[in-house]
Parts: sequence; C-alpha cells; structure tokens
Amino acid sequence: MSTRDLIDMALRNLRKRKLRTALTILGVIIGTTSIVVMISIGIGMNKSFENQIQEWGNLQVIEVYNYNNSGTNTELKLDLPTIESFKTMEHVEVVTPVLNEYMLLTYDKKYVADVNFVGVWPEAMSALGYNVVEGRGLESGDTDVIVVGGTIPQQFYNPKLSWEMRYSTDPPEVDLSSGRVGITYDYNYGTRNADKKIKETKVKVVGMMSESGQSGYSVVVPMETLEKIREEKNKYQNPDGANDNKKKQKVYDNVMVKVDDMEHVMDVQNQIKDMGFTAYSLTDQLESMKETTKMLRIVLGAIGAISMIVAAISITNTMVMAIYERTKEIGIMKVIGASLKDIRRLFLTEAAFIGFAGGVLGSILSLATSKIVNIVAAGQGSTMQSYIPLWLYLSAILFATAVGIAAGFLPAQRAMKLSALTAIKTE
Amino acid sequence: MEDIIKLKHVTKIYKMGAEEICAVNDVSLRIHREEVCCLLGKSGSGKSTLLNLIAGLEKPTAGQIIFHKKHMERMTEDQLANFRQKYVGFVFQSYNLLPTLTALENVTLPLIFRQVPLKERQERAMEMLEAVGLADRANHLPREMSGGQQQRVSIARAFINTPEVVFADEPTGNLDTKTTYEMMDLITGLAKKNAQTLVIVTHDLELSEYADRIVVLHDGKIDHVEEKKATTESNTVQ
Repeated sequence: MSTRDLIDMALRNLRKRKLRTALTILGVIIGTTSIVVMISIGIGMNKSFENQIQEWGNLQVIEVYNYNNSGTNTELKLDLPTIESFKTMEHVEVVTPVLNEYMLLTYDKKYVADVNFVGVWPEAMSALGYNVVEGRGLESGDTDVIVVGGTIPQQFYNPKLSWEMRYSTDPPEVDLSSGRVGITYDYNYGTRNADKKIKETKVKVVGMMSESGQSGYSVVVPMETLEKIREEKNKYQNPDGANDNKKKQKVYDNVMVKVDDMEHVMDVQNQIKDMGFTAYSLTDQLESMKETTKMLRIVLGAIGAISMIVAAISITNTMVMAIYERTKEIGIMKVIGASLKDIRRLFLTEAAFIGFAGGVLGSILSLATSKIVNIVAAGQGSTMQSYIPLWLYLSAILFATAVGIAAGFLPAQRAMKLSALTAIKTE
Repeated sequence: MEDIIKLKHVTKIYKMGAEEICAVNDVSLRIHREEVCCLLGKSGSGKSTLLNLIAGLEKPTAGQIIFHKKHMERMTEDQLANFRQKYVGFVFQSYNLLPTLTALENVTLPLIFRQVPLKERQERAMEMLEAVGLADRANHLPREMSGGQQQRVSIARAFINTPEVVFADEPTGNLDTKTTYEMMDLITGLAKKNAQTLVIVTHDLELSEYADRIVVLHDGKIDHVEEKKATTESNTVQ
C-alpha cells in the first residue's frame, strides 16, 4: 500500500466517525495545551531571570580576577601573555584588562563629580555590553577621550559648597559635550586647598551611555589614558616607590573576557577557573537561579504530562473500539490481499493523525492560552509570564504525534493478528 | 492436464471444548489448471472448510497443500497474504464489499494493496465494471445497489488482478434463480476468457452444471468425482 493511499484511507476512516474522532482529538488538544502552557511558564520564568540579570550587565562577559579561593596566588598573574592565552580559547571574542579608579571628573574648572573610572582597551569597549545611546563608544587608538554614564551629568556639584549645601541645591547645568572636562586625583580640586602641583588631565567626551545598569554610573576611559593618570597619582602619593613600579611588567587585577554566545560562557569560564583564576559571570548567577526553580518547572511539566497520558489512553480506547467495529472490514482487506504490515500501518496512521491533529490544534490553543496568562498575570502585577519558543510548538506537534503512534500500537497489533477467516465471518 | 493445486491427505479438526470435530478427513485432490471445479455437498459436508484450506485462509491439522510447488501449510501469515494478493481472487455469498467505498473503489481495493498507481487502477476498475455490466453504477455505494449488482461488484473485484485461481463460496446463495444463472454465466465466462481456474463451492446441484468436474463431499470425505468434459462448451454458453 502506498503512503498516499494509506493516508487517504486513514482519513476516510476517521471521517466516518466524526464525533468520536473529534472527541479523541479534543483530548489530545487539551493534553498538548496543558503541557505546552506549563512548560512555557517554566521557560517564561527563566526568561524573566535573564531579562533581570541582563539589566545588570552583559551575560556573555566573564570577569577574571588574579586570586583563587585560597587567597592571593603569587604564581598566577593577569599579565599580557595570560591575556593572550585567553584570547586563543575557543569562542572567546574579545579580551581586555580592566582598571577601576575612583577619581574626580571636573567640569569648567568649577564643578566636580566623584566617579568610578573604568579603564579598558578602547577597541574592546563595544563588545563589553556598554550601552552607548549618544555619540560613540571608544574606538581603537583613542586617547584622552571618555564615554560617560547616563547619570553622570546629574552628579556634579560645587566643591566650594559645604556638604549640606551640596545636597540642598539643585545640581548645576552641565553640557559635557562642549564644556571643558578633565580627570583629577586631587580631592581638593576647586577649593582653597587645591594642590597646584597636580595637573588635571583634559579629556573629550565622545559619547554617553544609558542611565540604567552598570553603564549609568561609570565613565569608560581608554586603558592607556587611565594608566598614565594612575602612574602620576602613585608617583604623587608615593614618590619613593615610583621607580620600582616602572620596571615591573604590567599586571592587572581584573580582566574581562567576552564570549561569542551565552551557551559557551560556562565552558570558557571553567577553562579559566582550571587555570587557577577566579572567574565570575552573570550567566553563573543565572544558572544558579534556574537551578533553584528547576523543581518547580519539573512539577509544572508533570501536571501537563498527566493530561497527555489521559489523552493517550483515550486514543488507545478509540482505536480498540474501531477494531471491534471494523473487524469484518479488516477481514475483507486481509482476504483480498492486504498484508499484515498494511493493516498495522493503517491503524498506526489513524492514531498518528489523531495525535498530529491534536498537536497542531493544541499548539494554536496554547498560543491563545499563553497570551491570556500573560495578560492576566500582568493585570495582577505578577512577574509570571508564559513564553513559547518556536521549538516548543514543533516538539509539541512531534510529541503529540509520537504519543498517537505509541497509543495506537497495541490496537494496531491486535488488528494485525485478527484471523482473516474469523473476521470475515463476523456480522 | 497440469495440476495447479494438489492436496495430499488433508485433515482439518476443530476443537469445540472437549469435543473434536473432523471437518475435513484425509482428502486428497488435484485441481487442474483452467478448469471449473465444483465442490458440491450438503451443509456440514466440509466443503467450505476445504475451500478455506485451499485458499490459505486456514491451516490444515495434517496433510499437505501444494500450490505452485509451494507448501501452503508451511507459509507464514505474511506469505499467505502475499500469496492471496498475487494468485487468488474471492467471491463470497455475502458479497463482503466495504460499505463506505463506492463500487469503483471496492473494485480497486486489491490494486491498492499491490501499489498500482491511481490512474491505472481506476482505468482497470472501470474496464472490469464494464465487463460485469455495472459501468453506470461506478459511484454508487453498496447499500444503493441490489444484491445481484453487489455480487457483480464483488466479481469484478475478484477478477481485477487476473488471479490464477478464483474461489467462489456459495456465490449465488443470496440471489434469486434468474440472477443466479446470470451470475454463473458471468463468472465462468470471465474465467474461461482469461484462462483462469475457478473453484466453486455450492450445495446446489444445478450450479454444478457449470463445472468441468464435480467433487462431491460427504462428511468431510470425497464421496465421488464426476468428470463432465464433453458438456463444458454447451454449459458455458447457454
């Protein structure tokens, strides 16, 4: 029997008993929908974790520190050769050392802001998840330029004012893109106690980042510029040790590694850990959040699975009933030349079609249910959400079809084994 | 004449609880190629059981059934299905049409199992329906047709594969006298035309007139065999 004839005959048989077929399919629809919606809520849960964590920073970035769990390790150095070795790892896109310095940002020689300056290799900035909303980010070859966080303009104050006054007066109006901007380590800058020996480094603001997350509060500076300022600061604060420092090879406290895809973050992170470094990533945290809700997701899936089992039993029931009704028909088909395989395939095809139709319609119903869940949840102010990725629809349809075939197996086997002679004599 | 089917000491015993019923008792028989053979006997004589054994619908308790040099009693279910598909056509007393299929579709059914393409299938089925005089009923369902018409459809179905042997089990049992003769003319005519072997089971002495050879069965045994070679021609024409 050709596949086309098989499908044709199976559909004809199903259409013959419309109501029963429809009711059986309805069972599969409910089973599919409950599984898909339950799983979609689990996925939605993970999704909202991801969104939440993404606000804190980039999930593809790993932060590496030069100490391990047992404390500072003198053997391990985050120096240039180490950074090179990170770069050669599979899936690593960008590597940059990171330098953090708290200093003052100055404006028009009058106002200052306390800021965390982040020094990175300028060509790496775009990859690290800083969200530049105006102007541009740092680019290869940049020196003496900065990209400021979205909240920085509001943080300026007049250093001449007393502490109380600083809080009670409105922040001064600043226009960082055109005004005179500088970086200084003189904490008395702008006041009577200012140290004339300390020269501020004049910089140009080339871009601004968004206000939220890590971007909002930082000022990103090319590594070269920040290192130069730090060297001056060290020399100023500790004039004797200055020579020592210069001879030493550059060693960094902190390195950021950007991985090409979230999927590979854990791999790369583990490789770095194996080298003895301490490595953190937001993906790490995401994984542990997902782990804590795993049980809940399993329970949700199991609830859905129960209705699918009920649907499977109902398919088996329908097909067994069909055998009783069609005993004579099966006998006739056998006598006029249907092979055992043909009979089995016919029953399996009918069961598979019930599963398939239920899967397709169930997926459509899931889409609607998912939307309703989201609307209701949002209305209640709940963070619960249902999210159905494309693969879930496809696997739901495949799964429902597979359940149909599995449920049809026993009846198909029985139909196949019917004695042709006994069957044909049945009235 | 060449033998197409050979039965050697075939016995079939049914178990009804503790009782054993011997439906066919040590029957040896040869069926010749292209003959019309009639198994004649009263109800309970074992004629239907014998037909089922020859057609491979049942397996003998003892003995051998050889078709095309193959031992049917040793075939598996699957081999038997394949054998029926290739070599055998059936006509039943109760027609046994599929009630949800039209006349044309019922006739095409054996070809579906042989994977004949749709177009060829329909052309052949249409020719067959014309041959049995039902071309105008091609799209009717069995319940929309008379008994005689339904039996014509079932005859068309039995012959569509041009099987080597056609088995007919009381083919006219449900029909009136006039239709009975029409039906017998049709079956024997088709069989002769295509040089096919026809095995008819009946209790009706009149039907045996159509046969080249009559095997009379009594209590599961062959009572006697009548050869009627000389009268064959006149019978089929009538």
